[in-house]
Amino acid sequence: MNVVDCSGLTKTFGRTTAVNNLSFTLAPNKITGLIGRNGAGKTTLLKMIAGYLLPNAGSIQVFSENPFNNIKVSANMIFVDENMVLPASMNLGEILASAGHFYANWDHKLAVGLFTYFNLHPGQYHSKLSKGMRSAFNAILGLAARCPLTIFDEPTTGMDAAVRKDFYRALLKDFMQYPRTVILSSHLLNEINDILDDLLLIKDGEKRLHVPIDELKEYAVGLQGKEETITKMAEKTEVLHRKKLGKDSVYMAVRNQFAEEELQKARLEGVAILPVATDDLCMYLTARNKGGIDDVFDRN
Amino acid sequence: MLLDTDSLKPIYVQIAEWLEMEILNGNIASDEKMYSQYQLADMFNVNPATAAKGLNILADEKLLYKKRGLGMFVASHARAAIRSKRIKRNLKQLVLELVAEAKRLDVGKDDLINMLIAAELQETEEGAQ
Repeated sequence: MNVVDCSGLTKTFGRTTAVNNLSFTLAPNKITGLIGRNGAGKTTLLKMIAGYLLPNAGSIQVFSENPFNNIKVSANMIFVDENMVLPASMNLGEILASAGHFYANWDHKLAVGLFTYFNLHPGQYHSKLSKGMRSAFNAILGLAARCPLTIFDEPTTGMDAAVRKDFYRALLKDFMQYPRTVILSSHLLNEINDILDDLLLIKDGEKRLHVPIDELKEYAVGLQGKEETITKMAEKTEVLHRKKLGKDSVYMAVRNQFAEEELQKARLEGVAILPVATDDLCMYLTARNKGGIDDVFDRN
Repeated sequence: MLLDTDSLKPIYVQIAEWLEMEILNGNIASDEKMYSQYQLADMFNVNPATAAKGLNILADEKLLYKKRGLGMFVASHARAAIRSKRIKRNLKQLVLELVAEAKRLDVGKDDLINMLIAAELQETEEGAQ
Protein backbone atom coordinates (compact mmCIF):
# COMPACT_ATOMS: atom_id res chain seq x y z
CA MET A 1 0.00 0.00 0.00
CA ASN A 2 1.44 3.36 -1.03
CA VAL A 3 1.70 6.10 1.56
CA VAL A 4 1.30 8.90 -0.96
CA ASP A 5 -0.54 8.53 -4.26
CA CYS A 6 -0.92 11.57 -6.53
CA SER A 7 -2.44 11.65 -9.95
CA GLY A 8 -2.80 14.64 -12.24
CA LEU A 9 -2.23 16.91 -9.27
CA THR A 10 -2.49 20.60 -10.17
CA LYS A 11 -2.44 23.74 -8.05
CA THR A 12 -2.66 27.28 -9.33
CA PHE A 13 -2.38 30.59 -7.54
CA GLY A 14 -4.03 33.22 -9.73
CA ARG A 15 -2.23 32.97 -13.05
CA THR A 16 0.71 31.02 -11.73
CA THR A 17 0.68 27.24 -11.94
CA ALA A 18 2.73 26.01 -9.00
CA VAL A 19 2.12 22.30 -9.46
CA ASN A 20 1.23 21.01 -12.88
CA ASN A 21 -0.33 17.61 -13.61
CA LEU A 22 1.93 15.73 -11.21
CA SER A 23 1.54 11.97 -10.81
CA PHE A 24 3.67 9.76 -8.58
CA THR A 25 3.48 7.34 -5.68
CA LEU A 26 5.63 6.93 -2.59
CA ALA A 27 6.07 3.46 -1.11
CA PRO A 28 6.23 3.09 2.67
CA ASN A 29 9.44 3.26 4.72
CA LYS A 30 11.62 5.00 2.20
CA ILE A 31 13.45 8.31 2.28
CA THR A 32 12.59 10.35 -0.79
CA GLY A 33 14.47 13.52 -1.69
CA LEU A 34 12.36 16.22 -3.31
CA ILE A 35 14.61 18.42 -5.38
CA GLY A 36 13.84 21.43 -7.53
CA ARG A 37 14.86 25.00 -8.19
CA ASN A 38 13.47 27.96 -6.29
CA GLY A 39 9.83 28.28 -7.24
CA ALA A 40 9.62 24.79 -8.74
CA GLY A 41 6.61 23.95 -6.58
CA LYS A 42 8.25 21.86 -3.84
CA THR A 43 6.57 23.53 -0.88
CA THR A 44 3.17 23.69 -2.59
CA LEU A 45 3.36 19.97 -3.30
CA LEU A 46 4.39 19.16 0.27
CA LYS A 47 1.58 21.30 1.67
CA MET A 48 -0.97 19.43 -0.44
CA ILE A 49 0.41 16.12 0.85
CA ALA A 50 0.21 17.44 4.40
CA GLY A 51 -3.41 18.48 3.81
CA TYR A 52 -2.74 22.20 4.25
CA LEU A 53 -3.78 23.09 0.70
CA LEU A 54 -6.48 21.82 -1.64
CA PRO A 55 -5.49 21.00 -5.21
CA ASN A 56 -7.36 22.64 -8.12
CA ALA A 57 -7.39 19.45 -10.11
CA GLY A 58 -6.30 15.85 -9.85
CA SER A 59 -6.38 13.61 -6.83
CA ILE A 60 -4.16 13.01 -3.86
CA GLN A 61 -4.33 10.16 -1.38
CA VAL A 62 -2.28 9.90 1.80
CA PHE A 63 -2.69 6.66 3.75
CA SER A 64 -5.44 5.97 1.16
CA GLU A 65 -7.45 9.02 2.26
CA ASN A 66 -7.88 12.60 1.14
CA PRO A 67 -5.45 14.46 3.42
CA PHE A 68 -7.40 17.75 3.55
CA ASN A 69 -9.08 18.23 6.94
CA ASN A 70 -8.29 14.62 7.75
CA ILE A 71 -7.69 13.53 11.35
CA LYS A 72 -5.99 10.26 10.38
CA VAL A 73 -3.44 12.06 8.21
CA SER A 74 -2.88 14.82 10.78
CA ALA A 75 -2.30 12.31 13.56
CA ASN A 76 0.22 10.30 11.52
CA MET A 77 2.10 13.11 9.83
CA ILE A 78 4.46 15.88 10.86
CA PHE A 79 5.39 18.77 8.59
CA VAL A 80 8.64 20.46 9.52
CA ASP A 81 9.61 23.76 7.93
CA GLU A 82 10.94 27.18 8.87
CA ASN A 83 7.54 28.56 9.74
CA MET A 84 6.40 25.96 12.25
CA VAL A 85 3.89 27.63 14.53
CA LEU A 86 4.47 26.83 18.18
CA PRO A 87 2.82 28.46 21.19
CA ALA A 88 4.63 31.73 21.93
CA SER A 89 3.91 31.58 25.66
CA MET A 90 5.69 28.25 26.18
CA ASN A 91 9.45 27.85 26.43
CA LEU A 92 11.31 25.09 24.61
CA GLY A 93 11.32 22.77 27.62
CA GLU A 94 7.53 23.06 27.96
CA ILE A 95 7.01 22.49 24.25
CA LEU A 96 9.07 19.30 24.38
CA ALA A 97 7.23 18.12 27.49
CA SER A 98 3.82 18.54 25.83
CA ALA A 99 4.74 17.14 22.41
CA GLY A 100 4.02 13.62 23.61
CA HIS A 101 0.32 14.51 23.91
CA PHE A 102 0.13 15.12 20.18
CA TYR A 103 2.35 12.40 18.75
CA ALA A 104 1.65 8.80 19.71
CA ASN A 105 5.18 7.57 18.91
CA TRP A 106 6.96 10.54 20.56
CA ASP A 107 10.36 9.51 21.95
CA HIS A 108 11.15 11.89 24.76
CA LYS A 109 14.56 10.41 25.46
CA LEU A 110 15.68 10.98 21.87
CA ALA A 111 14.26 14.52 21.92
CA VAL A 112 16.12 15.44 25.10
CA GLY A 113 19.30 13.79 23.87
CA LEU A 114 19.31 15.78 20.64
CA PHE A 115 18.19 18.93 22.47
CA THR A 116 21.24 18.78 24.75
CA TYR A 117 23.58 17.77 21.95
CA PHE A 118 22.57 20.77 19.83
CA ASN A 119 23.15 23.06 22.80
CA LEU A 120 19.59 24.28 23.24
CA HIS A 121 18.28 25.35 26.65
CA PRO A 122 14.83 24.59 28.10
CA GLY A 123 14.30 28.21 29.21
CA GLN A 124 14.65 29.65 25.69
CA TYR A 125 11.71 30.77 23.57
CA HIS A 126 11.16 29.60 20.00
CA SER A 127 10.69 33.10 18.60
CA LYS A 128 13.95 34.28 20.17
CA LEU A 129 16.14 31.56 18.65
CA SER A 130 18.59 32.27 15.87
CA LYS A 131 17.62 30.95 12.44
CA GLY A 132 19.92 27.94 12.65
CA MET A 133 18.94 27.08 16.23
CA ARG A 134 15.25 27.30 15.35
CA SER A 135 15.78 24.95 12.43
CA ALA A 136 17.62 22.56 14.76
CA PHE A 137 14.75 22.63 17.26
CA ASN A 138 12.16 22.04 14.53
CA ALA A 139 14.23 19.15 13.21
CA ILE A 140 14.31 17.60 16.69
CA LEU A 141 10.50 17.75 16.82
CA GLY A 142 10.36 16.12 13.39
CA LEU A 143 12.70 13.27 14.39
CA ALA A 144 11.38 12.54 17.87
CA ALA A 145 7.73 12.56 16.74
CA ARG A 146 8.49 9.39 14.72
CA CYS A 147 5.44 9.95 12.53
CA PRO A 148 4.75 7.30 9.86
CA LEU A 149 4.87 10.18 7.37
CA THR A 150 7.59 12.70 8.17
CA ILE A 151 7.95 15.72 5.90
CA PHE A 152 10.98 18.00 6.11
CA ASP A 153 10.70 21.08 3.91
CA GLU A 154 14.22 22.47 3.68
CA PRO A 155 14.95 21.57 7.27
CA THR A 156 18.53 22.80 7.31
CA THR A 157 17.94 26.49 6.50
CA GLY A 158 20.39 28.51 8.55
CA MET A 159 22.11 25.51 10.12
CA ASP A 160 25.90 25.51 9.96
CA ALA A 161 27.69 22.71 8.12
CA ALA A 162 28.38 20.65 11.25
CA VAL A 163 24.79 20.76 12.48
CA ARG A 164 23.48 19.86 9.00
CA LYS A 165 25.74 16.84 8.89
CA ASP A 166 24.73 15.76 12.38
CA PHE A 167 21.06 16.18 11.58
CA TYR A 168 21.22 14.01 8.46
CA ARG A 169 23.15 11.33 10.33
CA ALA A 170 20.63 11.44 13.19
CA LEU A 171 17.84 11.06 10.64
CA LEU A 172 19.53 8.05 9.05
CA LYS A 173 20.25 6.34 12.37
CA ASP A 174 16.75 6.83 13.71
CA PHE A 175 15.24 5.81 10.36
CA MET A 176 17.13 2.50 10.51
CA GLN A 177 15.75 1.74 13.95
CA TYR A 178 12.26 3.01 13.24
CA PRO A 179 11.61 2.88 9.50
CA ARG A 180 9.03 5.37 8.28
CA THR A 181 8.20 7.33 5.15
CA VAL A 182 10.30 10.45 4.94
CA ILE A 183 10.12 13.24 2.36
CA LEU A 184 13.07 15.59 2.44
CA SER A 185 13.22 18.68 0.28
CA SER A 186 16.49 20.46 -0.22
CA HIS A 187 18.56 22.52 -2.62
CA LEU A 188 21.71 20.70 -1.67
CA LEU A 189 21.39 17.25 -3.15
CA ASN A 190 25.05 16.39 -2.54
CA GLU A 191 24.42 16.53 1.19
CA ILE A 192 21.44 14.21 1.29
CA ASN A 193 22.32 12.05 -1.70
CA ASP A 194 23.75 9.11 0.24
CA ILE A 195 20.91 8.68 2.71
CA LEU A 196 18.12 8.69 0.12
CA ASP A 197 16.25 5.75 -1.35
CA ASP A 198 14.59 7.70 -4.14
CA LEU A 199 14.81 11.06 -5.81
CA LEU A 200 11.89 13.10 -7.10
CA LEU A 201 13.03 15.97 -9.27
CA ILE A 202 10.52 18.63 -10.29
CA LYS A 203 10.78 21.52 -12.69
CA ASP A 204 8.14 24.22 -13.14
CA GLY A 205 5.68 22.14 -11.14
CA GLU A 206 6.15 19.11 -13.37
CA LYS A 207 7.88 15.83 -12.69
CA ARG A 208 11.28 15.68 -14.39
CA LEU A 209 12.62 12.47 -12.85
CA HIS A 210 11.56 9.96 -10.19
CA VAL A 211 14.22 7.27 -9.78
CA PRO A 212 16.03 5.21 -7.16
CA ILE A 213 19.03 7.31 -6.18
CA ASP A 214 21.49 4.61 -7.29
CA GLU A 215 20.34 5.06 -10.88
CA LEU A 216 21.03 8.76 -10.82
CA LYS A 217 24.77 8.20 -10.58
CA GLU A 218 24.69 6.19 -13.81
CA TYR A 219 22.21 8.49 -15.53
CA ALA A 220 24.74 10.86 -17.05
CA VAL A 221 28.40 11.02 -17.96
CA GLY A 222 30.73 13.92 -18.71
CA LEU A 223 32.80 13.81 -21.89
CA GLN A 224 35.70 16.13 -22.50
CA GLY A 225 37.93 16.27 -25.53
CA LYS A 226 38.08 17.26 -29.21
CA GLU A 227 34.82 18.85 -30.33
CA GLU A 228 34.60 16.61 -33.40
CA THR A 229 34.92 13.37 -31.43
CA ILE A 230 32.58 14.43 -28.65
CA THR A 231 29.90 15.71 -31.01
CA LYS A 232 29.96 12.40 -32.81
CA MET A 233 29.65 10.48 -29.55
CA ALA A 234 26.78 12.70 -28.43
CA GLU A 235 24.75 12.08 -31.58
CA LYS A 236 23.30 8.84 -30.26
CA THR A 237 22.30 10.25 -26.91
CA GLU A 238 20.76 13.29 -25.22
CA VAL A 239 22.96 16.30 -24.45
CA LEU A 240 22.15 17.82 -21.08
CA HIS A 241 24.83 20.45 -20.91
CA ARG A 242 27.63 21.75 -23.11
CA LYS A 243 30.55 24.04 -22.54
CA LYS A 244 33.24 25.11 -24.95
CA LEU A 245 36.78 24.89 -23.67
CA GLY A 246 39.70 26.42 -25.49
CA LYS A 247 39.90 26.34 -29.26
CA ASP A 248 38.53 23.02 -30.38
CA SER A 249 37.77 21.22 -27.20
CA VAL A 250 34.43 20.85 -25.53
CA TYR A 251 32.80 19.44 -22.40
CA MET A 252 29.41 17.79 -22.61
CA ALA A 253 27.25 16.16 -20.01
CA VAL A 254 25.16 13.55 -21.79
CA ARG A 255 22.81 10.74 -20.86
CA ASN A 256 24.88 7.64 -20.28
CA GLN A 257 23.66 5.23 -22.93
CA PHE A 258 27.12 3.93 -23.72
CA ALA A 259 28.34 0.41 -23.19
CA GLU A 260 31.43 0.04 -21.01
CA GLU A 261 33.49 -0.93 -24.10
CA GLU A 262 32.50 2.25 -25.94
CA LEU A 263 33.68 4.39 -23.05
CA GLN A 264 36.87 2.37 -22.82
CA LYS A 265 37.51 2.92 -26.52
CA ALA A 266 36.84 6.64 -26.22
CA ARG A 267 39.23 6.84 -23.30
CA LEU A 268 41.98 5.34 -25.39
CA GLU A 269 41.22 7.91 -28.10
CA GLY A 270 41.95 10.64 -25.58
CA VAL A 271 38.44 11.51 -24.41
CA ALA A 272 38.24 12.23 -20.70
CA ILE A 273 35.31 10.37 -19.15
CA LEU A 274 34.18 12.26 -16.08
CA PRO A 275 31.52 11.67 -13.49
CA VAL A 276 28.71 14.21 -13.34
CA ALA A 277 28.09 15.24 -9.75
CA THR A 278 24.47 14.60 -8.83
CA ASP A 279 24.06 18.26 -7.88
CA ASP A 280 25.25 19.37 -11.31
CA LEU A 281 23.07 16.79 -13.01
CA CYS A 282 19.98 18.09 -11.25
CA MET A 283 20.95 21.60 -12.25
CA TYR A 284 21.29 20.57 -15.91
CA LEU A 285 18.01 18.67 -15.84
CA THR A 286 16.14 21.67 -14.49
CA ALA A 287 17.92 24.30 -16.58
CA ARG A 288 16.07 26.21 -19.29
CA ASN A 289 18.96 26.27 -21.74
CA LYS A 290 21.92 24.04 -22.35
CA GLY A 291 24.68 26.56 -21.70
CA GLY A 292 23.37 27.85 -18.37
CA ILE A 293 24.26 31.36 -17.22
CA ASP A 294 26.92 31.66 -19.94
CA ASP A 295 24.15 31.91 -22.55
CA VAL A 296 23.08 35.25 -21.07
CA PHE A 297 26.54 36.69 -21.65
CA ASP A 298 27.21 35.02 -25.00
CA ARG A 299 24.09 36.39 -26.68
CA ASN A 300 25.82 39.37 -28.23
CA MET B 1 36.12 4.74 5.84
CA LEU B 2 34.98 7.31 3.31
CA LEU B 3 33.26 6.90 -0.01
CA ASP B 4 34.33 8.79 -3.10
CA THR B 5 31.21 10.70 -4.03
CA ASP B 6 32.99 12.23 -7.03
CA SER B 7 33.66 8.84 -8.53
CA LEU B 8 31.84 7.57 -11.58
CA LYS B 9 31.08 4.42 -9.62
CA PRO B 10 27.77 4.18 -7.82
CA ILE B 11 27.98 4.05 -4.03
CA TYR B 12 26.75 0.45 -3.85
CA VAL B 13 29.51 -0.66 -6.24
CA GLN B 14 32.08 1.12 -4.06
CA ILE B 15 30.70 -0.69 -1.02
CA ALA B 16 30.87 -4.03 -2.86
CA GLU B 17 34.50 -3.35 -3.79
CA TRP B 18 35.34 -2.39 -0.24
CA LEU B 19 33.81 -5.65 0.99
CA GLU B 20 35.88 -7.55 -1.57
CA MET B 21 39.01 -5.85 -0.24
CA GLU B 22 38.06 -6.88 3.29
CA ILE B 23 37.88 -10.49 2.16
CA LEU B 24 41.03 -10.20 0.06
CA ASN B 25 43.01 -8.72 2.97
CA GLY B 26 41.82 -11.54 5.17
CA ASN B 27 40.01 -9.15 7.53
CA ILE B 28 36.97 -11.37 7.19
CA ALA B 29 37.89 -15.03 6.79
CA SER B 30 35.96 -17.88 5.18
CA ASP B 31 32.76 -18.83 6.97
CA GLU B 32 32.98 -15.69 9.08
CA LYS B 33 29.96 -13.44 9.35
CA MET B 34 29.80 -10.55 6.89
CA TYR B 35 28.69 -7.08 7.98
CA SER B 36 24.93 -6.59 7.96
CA GLN B 37 23.27 -3.99 5.75
CA TYR B 38 22.60 -1.86 8.84
CA GLN B 39 26.21 -2.03 10.05
CA LEU B 40 27.34 -0.95 6.59
CA ALA B 41 24.75 1.82 6.38
CA ASP B 42 25.96 3.15 9.71
CA MET B 43 29.65 2.86 8.77
CA PHE B 44 29.32 4.57 5.41
CA ASN B 45 26.46 6.88 6.36
CA VAL B 46 24.30 5.66 3.50
CA ASN B 47 20.76 4.45 3.08
CA PRO B 48 20.38 0.79 4.18
CA ALA B 49 18.88 -0.11 0.79
CA THR B 50 22.09 1.09 -0.88
CA ALA B 51 24.16 -1.00 1.53
CA ALA B 52 21.99 -4.05 0.82
CA LYS B 53 22.56 -3.55 -2.89
CA GLY B 54 26.31 -3.68 -2.29
CA LEU B 55 25.99 -6.90 -0.31
CA ASN B 56 23.79 -8.40 -3.00
CA ILE B 57 26.48 -7.96 -5.63
CA LEU B 58 28.70 -10.32 -3.61
CA ALA B 59 25.80 -12.65 -2.85
CA ASP B 60 24.88 -12.85 -6.55
CA GLU B 61 28.44 -13.86 -7.36
CA LYS B 62 28.12 -16.56 -4.68
CA LEU B 63 30.93 -14.97 -2.66
CA LEU B 64 28.55 -14.87 0.29
CA TYR B 65 26.01 -17.38 1.48
CA LYS B 66 22.97 -16.93 3.64
CA LYS B 67 22.33 -18.67 6.93
CA ARG B 68 18.70 -18.41 7.78
CA GLY B 69 18.14 -15.94 10.59
CA LEU B 70 21.86 -15.36 11.08
CA GLY B 71 22.85 -13.25 8.10
CA MET B 72 25.45 -13.53 5.35
CA PHE B 73 28.71 -15.46 5.60
CA VAL B 74 31.85 -15.51 3.46
CA ALA B 75 32.03 -18.48 1.09
CA SER B 76 35.12 -20.67 1.29
CA HIS B 77 36.23 -19.99 -2.28
CA ALA B 78 35.52 -16.23 -2.06
CA ARG B 79 39.09 -15.05 -1.66
CA ALA B 80 40.44 -17.00 -4.62
CA ALA B 81 37.46 -15.98 -6.77
CA ILE B 82 37.93 -12.28 -5.99
CA ARG B 83 41.62 -12.54 -6.78
CA SER B 84 41.14 -14.07 -10.20
CA LYS B 85 38.32 -11.65 -10.99
CA ARG B 86 40.50 -8.67 -10.14
CA ILE B 87 43.33 -9.96 -12.31
CA LYS B 88 40.98 -10.44 -15.22
CA ARG B 89 39.23 -7.09 -14.91
CA ASN B 90 41.31 -4.49 -13.09
CA LEU B 91 44.87 -5.53 -13.76
CA LYS B 92 44.33 -6.18 -17.47
CA GLN B 93 42.62 -2.80 -17.86
CA LEU B 94 45.45 -1.04 -16.04
CA VAL B 95 48.02 -2.70 -18.28
CA LEU B 96 46.08 -1.65 -21.39
CA GLU B 97 46.08 1.96 -20.22
CA LEU B 98 49.76 1.71 -19.34
CA VAL B 99 50.62 0.48 -22.82
CA ALA B 100 48.49 3.19 -24.45
CA GLU B 101 50.19 5.94 -22.42
CA ALA B 102 53.63 4.53 -23.26
CA LYS B 103 52.72 4.64 -26.93
CA ARG B 104 51.57 8.25 -26.68
CA LEU B 105 54.87 9.16 -25.00
CA ASP B 106 56.88 7.13 -27.49
CA VAL B 107 58.35 4.87 -24.83
CA GLY B 108 59.62 1.61 -26.34
CA LYS B 109 58.74 -1.92 -25.25
CA ASP B 110 62.09 -2.62 -23.56
CA ASP B 111 62.08 0.69 -21.69
CA LEU B 112 58.57 -0.03 -20.46
CA ILE B 113 59.55 -3.48 -19.23
CA ASN B 114 62.59 -2.02 -17.46
CA MET B 115 60.35 0.51 -15.76
CA LEU B 116 58.08 -2.31 -14.62
CA ILE B 117 61.00 -4.26 -13.18
CA ALA B 118 62.29 -1.16 -11.37
CA ALA B 119 58.83 -0.46 -9.95
CA GLU B 120 58.52 -4.05 -8.78
CA LEU B 121 61.94 -3.83 -7.04
CA GLN B 122 61.00 -0.60 -5.31
CA GLU B 123 57.75 -2.12 -4.10
CA THR B 124 59.49 -5.19 -2.59
CA GLU B 125 62.08 -2.99 -0.88
CA GLU B 126 59.40 -0.79 0.63
CA GLY B 127 57.55 -3.88 1.72
CA ALA B 128 60.70 -5.23 3.44
CA GLN B 129 61.33 -2.06 5.39
